Amino acid sequence: MGATQAGLDPAVLDRLSHLSLVARRVVEGFMGGHHTSAHRGSSVEFAQHRPYAPGDELRTIDWRVFARSDRLVVKEYVEETNLSCNLLLDASESMAFGSLDWTKFDYARWGAAALAHLVISQRDTAGLVVFDEEHRRKVPPANGAPQLNAILSTLAEAQPTGPTAVGSVLELLAPRLRRRGITAIFSDFFDELAAIESGVKRLVYGGHEPILFQVLDPLELSFELDGLLKLEGLEATGVHKIDPKAIREAYIEEIRGHNQRLARAARSLSVDYVRMSTDQPLDGVLAGYLAKRSARTRGGGAR
Amino acid sequence: MFEGFVHPALAAGAGLAAVPLLIHLLNRQRHRPLQWAAMRFVLAAYRRTRRRVQLENLLLLFLRMGAVALIALALARPFASGDSALGPLTERRRDLVLVVDASASTGYREEVETVFERIVERASTLVSALDGASGDRVNVIRAGAWPRSLGWMDPDKTRAVLSDLSAPFDEVLDLAAALGEVQALALEDAAGSGASGLEVRLLTDLQRSSFAGLLGASPDPPLDGDAAEGARAEDAPRLAEVLEGLSELGVRVLVEDLGPTSTRPQNLSIVDVRPVQPIHAAGGRVEVAVTVANHGATARPAERVALVHDGNRLPVRRLDVPAGGRVDAIFSLSLDTPGAHTLVAELDGDRLAVDDRRASVEIVPPAVRVLVVNGSPADDFEQDEVAYLMLALEPLDADGLPGGALLAPFEADEVTPDFLVSPDLDLRWADVVVLANTPPLPDSVVEALEKRVAAGAALVVALGDRIGDLSRVNAKLFRPDGSGLLPAELSRHVVVSRRESYYRVAGFEEDHPALAFFSDEAWRPLLTEIPVYEFVRARPLEDAKVLAYLDDEGRSPLLVERSWDRGRVYLWTSSLSRAWTDVPASPKTLIPLVHEWLRHAGARSEPPRVVTPGEPLRLLVEGFPRSPELVRPDGSRRPLDSEPEQAPDGRWRLPTISGEETGRAGLYAVTVEGGRAEPFAVQIDPREGDLTRLSPQEVAGLHPALELVARGESGSEAGDDGPQRGEIWRSLALAALIMLVAESLWGAWLGIRRRVA
Repeated sequence: MGATQAGLDPAVLDRLSHLSLVARRVVEGFMGGHHTSAHRGSSVEFAQHRPYAPGDELRTIDWRVFARSDRLVVKEYVEETNLSCNLLLDASESMAFGSLDWTKFDYARWGAAALAHLVISQRDTAGLVVFDEEHRRKVPPANGAPQLNAILSTLAEAQPTGPTAVGSVLELLAPRLRRRGITAIFSDFFDELAAIESGVKRLVYGGHEPILFQVLDPLELSFELDGLLKLEGLEATGVHKIDPKAIREAYIEEIRGHNQRLARAARSLSVDYVRMSTDQPLDGVLAGYLAKRSARTRGGGAR
Repeated sequence: MFEGFVHPALAAGAGLAAVPLLIHLLNRQRHRPLQWAAMRFVLAAYRRTRRRVQLENLLLLFLRMGAVALIALALARPFASGDSALGPLTERRRDLVLVVDASASTGYREEVETVFERIVERASTLVSALDGASGDRVNVIRAGAWPRSLGWMDPDKTRAVLSDLSAPFDEVLDLAAALGEVQALALEDAAGSGASGLEVRLLTDLQRSSFAGLLGASPDPPLDGDAAEGARAEDAPRLAEVLEGLSELGVRVLVEDLGPTSTRPQNLSIVDVRPVQPIHAAGGRVEVAVTVANHGATARPAERVALVHDGNRLPVRRLDVPAGGRVDAIFSLSLDTPGAHTLVAELDGDRLAVDDRRASVEIVPPAVRVLVVNGSPADDFEQDEVAYLMLALEPLDADGLPGGALLAPFEADEVTPDFLVSPDLDLRWADVVVLANTPPLPDSVVEALEKRVAAGAALVVALGDRIGDLSRVNAKLFRPDGSGLLPAELSRHVVVSRRESYYRVAGFEEDHPALAFFSDEAWRPLLTEIPVYEFVRARPLEDAKVLAYLDDEGRSPLLVERSWDRGRVYLWTSSLSRAWTDVPASPKTLIPLVHEWLRHAGARSEPPRVVTPGEPLRLLVEGFPRSPELVRPDGSRRPLDSEPEQAPDGRWRLPTISGEETGRAGLYAVTVEGGRAEPFAVQIDPREGDLTRLSPQEVAGLHPALELVARGESGSEAGDDGPQRGEIWRSLALAALIMLVAESLWGAWLGIRRRVA
């Protein structure tokens, strides 16, 4: 990690300042009042009618249309929002792995810091939760420079320890996140897929928009290891002697299968899934994701 | 499975098959630690692949171990029985053991070639019939006084070795030892199976004496009850046992007769060169007998015999030697100086040259140096204690001076006891010290005497009226534990009146060199009838030897001998003067007694100068030997590099001349810088000259394990009865190659698969 208070490499920050200009145009709600939200909700400016569906509040029914056409429709308004972005950072011990000069955890908090910087610099609110098998530190959502400082210092102080339980943590956090908005989750997601899926569902059902940033080390993906190894699990998973070449094929199948299933689950929940390899430039990954998101927004809002 | 190996030691290399396993196990200990996050996937992958990977690795390990083991086994060249499970893989192989008679008798030249050359040629022919490519191998045993096995070789190499053999050894044939070597090979070959497939062939001249041990009563006993025949008969049980052992192993020895055509070839040989009488001193004439034996069936008239003495050829003698007889030629010569003298006897050459010349070396001992301590000197000859003794040691010449014409192998010096207490006393000169009736000596003198005796000199203690109190003498010279010089404790002075009676010698050690002269019945009375009037009764120590005792009641010792360190001490319990006995007054008793006794007492041990071929020896020389060199009979020289050692008697011991250096009969010498050459002789066994051969009928009846085959007969059918077996190294090598290729392919495939993944 960089040496600044923000815990962010100055070069990355510099690149992200440029990135933030791009982000203003593509992230809905990043600049509240200047952009319309893609979310349909209640507001002062009418947007459209849609057929009534069971569960809609009765106050949203346009009775005048019912009187004229005998159809139950509800009115939808364009909502002017201020973006609330919750940054969830996995600080379990598995994030401490790194085959480069930095670990997955370093990379994840750079990403979280970049997003926090981006959001708060656009006068939106951002909060931070650092968790492992339970949430450890929390910075409630707010805006302004002090908030950015609070988030960055929390990120700087965080250390990866303890076991992973991404799914259960998400389930735990979903009802506690007061302000709905984007929930950016930085984790390697080395957890049971069903639990992760369940936790993400809880977020989605709670009105949040989760973005899954899966941070992986390139060595974890390639498993290009030589010689006989005594692998010591980072989350107290024991010690195992292996011949990496002998199990490489099966290992790659396993991790690829896990990642593919995670991506498929995200897709099924209409949740963004971004895989980040720690050897990739962080700004490039974020820019690429934001560019895709921008294109998707212009293309009709389908995710 | 395997019945044995051509190179059994290499079979141990199969243990190297454990090396891949050890490497595998060691590698398991060398896992590099690495912290890892994605363990869940590692564990899942491990569980999925564990069994397959284990099988793959096991197969790889098996291929590596198998290849190593098979290579080692192939190099050891195992062989298996044709009816075993490995039978189809075997290649028929022959193991031929050739026992080549290389004894001196095979040097007999018949027409153009010698018997030995014929044997070697036949051996080459037999070896040529073998097929090295099929694994056939040969072990040639050159049989002489002991067997020299050349080890297992392929036929080509064996032929090359045989082509280098040009002459036999100058030795006898120890057939039992040679066949014992064969038995050892057969036992190794049988390798616990109880049967050996060795083919054994003895190529020999069938010299009768070589088989003497199996012959029993000879129908035609050789020359006058030959002692050599008896000597070889000692080998009989051993030879019979060896043949029994070979029979039990299923080994037959094919005996091929390659000897002379005659069953009793003509041959004259010199079987002995010796002085007729022992040589005790330098000077005077010595007669040397050269014994010539005629081993043939016809008399040999007027055979010329020559003797070369210290390089000087004496006039030739002509001898008529009857058939099967022996005749001595007597040469008279003069040996004027002490030391070693060479004698080389020669015959005119015949078909067996090695026994036509015989060298010998005779040692003329130096004069024994005797220091006589006169405890009771007197002007009157009759009263002087040692006057008679000195006269016996140094006879007077015509002018009445010592050192006369009579031979006396002594240098004697007479002193009084005062001389012994001189601070300049140096007893190293004396070979023998005689204390004649001396009063008790000071401790310093006793100590000097002890030192000299310990170094190898002899001490004679003779008693008399001047010795004083016996207890004082005992205190000085006797200790019950044997550490004192006296071999017996003096107890009581016994005196008998000369007018009334006297004592005589009742018995003596007739075999002892000091008194052997008197064992002859003609001379016995000279010792046993001489009167002894006074003596001191003595109690000998347990390890002392009473050489002569008197006829008194207690059979009191007269002469006692005991070894003391490297020297010897003698106690004469009477006097050396006429005071106590008439011995000194009887020259016929005194002279032989003193001469035999003191020559024996002062004699220095000499290492043998005559050895048999292959026998090592070590010579003693007087001065420090600078740059010693061995000169062989052919004139070639070799420096003796090792350091000489000083012997306790002050002489120097030359480096050992090994048996390898004394293989040829003849006259050798060791030269030293600034000194005289020290000769020694190597003599062949006289039995080798008797070329009488066994008849085929006799061979047939010797032992079932021996089978006579006609000259030139292949005898290959002899091996057909044995177990059919052959080598399987080619099959093993092929299997090893297949395993290596499989290992390479399998390893490469695993590497590619794991890398691609």
